[in-house]
Amino acid sequence: MSNAETAKVVTTRVVTTESGRMGRVAYARIAPNEDLVQGVEKMCLAEGFRNAFVRGGLGSLVDASLGCRDGSYQQISGPAVEVVSIAGEVRSGADGVPVASLAGIVADTDGNVYGGPFLAGWNPVCMTFEVTLEEWIPEDEASA
Amino acid sequence: MSRTLQSGYHRPRMLRHVGRFSPVRIQSMHYQSGRHIRLLLQPGRSLYDALVEPLRDIGVTSASTTILGGYFEHLEYCVAPPDPTGNAVIAYSRPIDAGASFMVFGNATLGKDMEGRPLVHCHASVRVADGGVKGGHIVPQASIIGATPISVLVTALEGFELRQAFDDETNIPLLKPFKES
Repeated sequence: MSNAETAKVVTTRVVTTESGRMGRVAYARIAPNEDLVQGVEKMCLAEGFRNAFVRGGLGSLVDASLGCRDGSYQQISGPAVEVVSIAGEVRSGADGVPVASLAGIVADTDGNVYGGPFLAGWNPVCMTFEVTLEEWIPEDEASA
Repeated sequence: MSRTLQSGYHRPRMLRHVGRFSPVRIQSMHYQSGRHIRLLLQPGRSLYDALVEPLRDIGVTSASTTILGGYFEHLEYCVAPPDPTGNAVIAYSRPIDAGASFMVFGNATLGKDMEGRPLVHCHASVRVADGGVKGGHIVPQASIIGATPISVLVTALEGFELRQAFDDETNIPLLKPFKES
């Protein structure tokens, strides 16, 4: 490799670990027809959380839309589709906008289960959704 | 019922509820820190008693919990189809007997009902007696812990409490956060 070629090599440092601590704990009830994913994001805006982990969540959706690897999505018809397990986190970028990544298992009106990532904007709450978030404070933000 | 769709726009369906629309769409409260507890659900107890009593003994009456999986001697769950009476848009079905089951993962919220008694609202996925996996609203008083204790991670909620209150919009009582009474 010539010196000129060497100069083009860009080293990208991939961050795989992030130290930090847990902060505040918030609980919200998200009302009907609000989107689950955006509801969690709005909850972070309301509570001033930049980053958070989902500590618990349960409720129902009108219909559920779960993303697939090829860009298609699986639609589970309700009402109601019950969310029977959920995990996820919220992260904010430099613009301060919280982005929730949520995945889980849902059950249809016969109790049949389906799983995958919840697509933002396409998972309207049916009756109620209860969610508990625990704030995550990365070390570099805590010391800033 | 499910169907796989190619990516593209579809309008998410909304529902018209029985009652008056509330302008408050997200009701949230927070506290400066969380208190975490590892709880072991004891064999032979109902899910309700096994959650409520040990937590009440240490002063916890509002909490969000993650049930980490375990065997139930007997389990009952409900699904949530449309309400044929029109009282609300959906209503829980009659309890479905899942028999001896394995709870794969569950979330349960602990709060108080409208009379001030402990209330457990639990949703979970469950491998039922015939080997199939189902999910729904668990009936905590009728679901009995199996022979091995089940671990639960409890995030106790402090500085505010969860109480069931009648929700005008949906026309049913629901858990909501309130300042401690």
